[in-house]
Amino acid sequence: MSTGAKKRIMKEYAECAADTPAGMKIIFDEQNMTKWEVLLDGPDQSIYAGGHFKLEITFPNEYPFKPPVVSFKTKIYHPNVSNDDKGSMCLGLLRPDEWKPPNKVVSVLRLIQTLLIEPDIDDSIEPSIANEYKENRKEFDKNAKDWVKRYAK
Amino acid sequence: MPSHSAQSIEIYTIEFPDPYKISYHNDKFITLPANASFQLPITENIQTLSNKDVQKGSDPYGILYVPDLTSDGCKKEEEQYVANNVTRRANLPEHIEYALVAVAPWYSAECMNEYFEAARDAPVKAFLVYQPGAAAGMPPPVSDSSWLMGDGGTWKAQNTFPTYAIVPPTGALIMKGLSEYSGNITDLPYNETLVDMFADTDYVRLWATIGTESGSQLPSLWVFLVIVLGLLILAIVGTSSFMHLMQRRRRNDLQRRVINGEVDLEALGVKRLTVPQEYLDKLPLYVYTSSMEDPEKALPTEPPQAHSNTPTGRRLSAPDLPQPVSSTALSQPTCAICLDDFVANESRVRELPCRHIFHPDCIDTFLLSNSSLCPMCKTSVLPSGYCPTKITNNMVRRERMITRMNRNAADRAHTAHPAPPQTADSQAPLSPRRTSSGFGSIGSRIGGAFNGSRRVFSAPDRTSNRPSEIEMGSNQPAAALSPVPETTPPNQQTTTTDPTNPTAAHPHRREWARQRALALLGTHHVAPADEEESCEPRWKRGLRKIFPGFR
Repeated sequence: MSTGAKKRIMKEYAECAADTPAGMKIIFDEQNMTKWEVLLDGPDQSIYAGGHFKLEITFPNEYPFKPPVVSFKTKIYHPNVSNDDKGSMCLGLLRPDEWKPPNKVVSVLRLIQTLLIEPDIDDSIEPSIANEYKENRKEFDKNAKDWVKRYAK
Repeated sequence: MPSHSAQSIEIYTIEFPDPYKISYHNDKFITLPANASFQLPITENIQTLSNKDVQKGSDPYGILYVPDLTSDGCKKEEEQYVANNVTRRANLPEHIEYALVAVAPWYSAECMNEYFEAARDAPVKAFLVYQPGAAAGMPPPVSDSSWLMGDGGTWKAQNTFPTYAIVPPTGALIMKGLSEYSGNITDLPYNETLVDMFADTDYVRLWATIGTESGSQLPSLWVFLVIVLGLLILAIVGTSSFMHLMQRRRRNDLQRRVINGEVDLEALGVKRLTVPQEYLDKLPLYVYTSSMEDPEKALPTEPPQAHSNTPTGRRLSAPDLPQPVSSTALSQPTCAICLDDFVANESRVRELPCRHIFHPDCIDTFLLSNSSLCPMCKTSVLPSGYCPTKITNNMVRRERMITRMNRNAADRAHTAHPAPPQTADSQAPLSPRRTSSGFGSIGSRIGGAFNGSRRVFSAPDRTSNRPSEIEMGSNQPAAALSPVPETTPPNQQTTTTDPTNPTAAHPHRREWARQRALALLGTHHVAPADEEESCEPRWKRGLRKIFPGFR
């Protein structure tokens, strides 16, 4: 990783630290600055309220030309988060072909928060969950809350 | 296998009226049914001794009979093998030259010579022989000593007909049949059924057809197969070359449009381009000076002025964006790639044709290896009409697909959603932006916002003569709906309204609704062309090679 990229990550961290979006905590390790840990509280107006989610943001070597990789370490019942041990999220500006260098981690974090409040059904990674969200919202809410209780307390 | 060797011999019973009892010329024989007559198909163990006078495509056939011997000695010997009531010449209508097939036992060369001599005098089409008492199985080839006639083999040349050897049991069977079917119709086996059907004077005799190689069914089947295969190959080759021709025309057409500036390959998402070093070197490089212009002045006033910016002006009015935020970013105090501030009179900056500035170190690597579009506004850095390398079939396919999708989306958007009133740009309001320039979801808002000004900044001729369906890829009406880009210089951040901010509930919801509508317009994520190709199965790639237009 180039020094330019490292510098940029440092800068972004400083920015994030100064103005962390509400309900977030960023754990930054200077030894391994390409891997951020984010503790995220489920937004109050979402069904994930009360849950505490651990995320990992990994910066590729080509950052900022390639997007950071977001993965949920805490299991979450969400159409846009893959239901496996990776818990990956790949939509919107996180897509490699949609990412542009001026985008910043803050916007990624905000995107995640937004998605927790309202999933993007049409760009889902888990079609079955997306379907449930669309067709049987009650069941979805129940499952999501159930998972919050089970994994995100 | 010698040509015209016999593959099969078909023996069956025929019936025909006595030619002297009827007033008309009869050349038709009636074949009697298998269950009431003699039938014997011979398909194996036929040895061709001579194939003299066998014409290609005409199998020998005729009424079976036994030729008459002349010497008493031979006649006496013949009695062991041939019943005395077999069909002879005398049992056939006189003076009428029916085609004949002779059959005789080969018990001595001398007598065989007499048989052949008799056969030569008759209209014999073929001669069947068998060696009584010989071993079962394939009769020996003609070179075998048992076929010697003591004349050095001239009998084959003297005969005017081919000669075939069959196995002794078959020969005996034929002889038995000949003895049954040589007399009056009333003498026949099963005569109770036949007597009612035919006149008493009718002849009922055995008939033989010899199937030779040339006329047999198998070769004709092969010929048929070869013809079908040939036609198939011809069709494939024809279609393939036609499609290749079509594709070449499309490639040339796309290349022409690219050169004319009607199509922007990367903006459309057709192909990821990079900027060659030589083009990069042509981009202006200079030292950043904040004092060159008062950013406050150029501020919220509308962008079109940027048009008049002469290249020599080199003012740092770079992103004259029609959004509120752009005004604050106007002087671009920060490099969007490394997020470092430019230092006045010290930092060297590179300016792209869209007037955005970056550190040369930052932007050069990006343009050389990642993209040809400005990271801020996605305007192509490459000059209008720059045609990359070679237009591939894949690029043609994607361009067509994307154009079609755009058109469909535009059609649907027209019917679903009357165009927002604000600008002329909104003629095709909802273009699938995911495909268009690689912006999507949240990111698209930035793209939308900046792209709104794209026309202004990219080379004028490039945009002005674009057909509408291509143009809409660059005109993002979203700009009007959500004029709040996220990318702001860090020092301005606190003042911006972030659209993703959950607190801004109302615009945020509308934003999501809009995005869902967009996503519903059949926007599928389109990977860069070269990547797509590599993940296709091999057979599909092969098929594409043969039929290039194949989807």
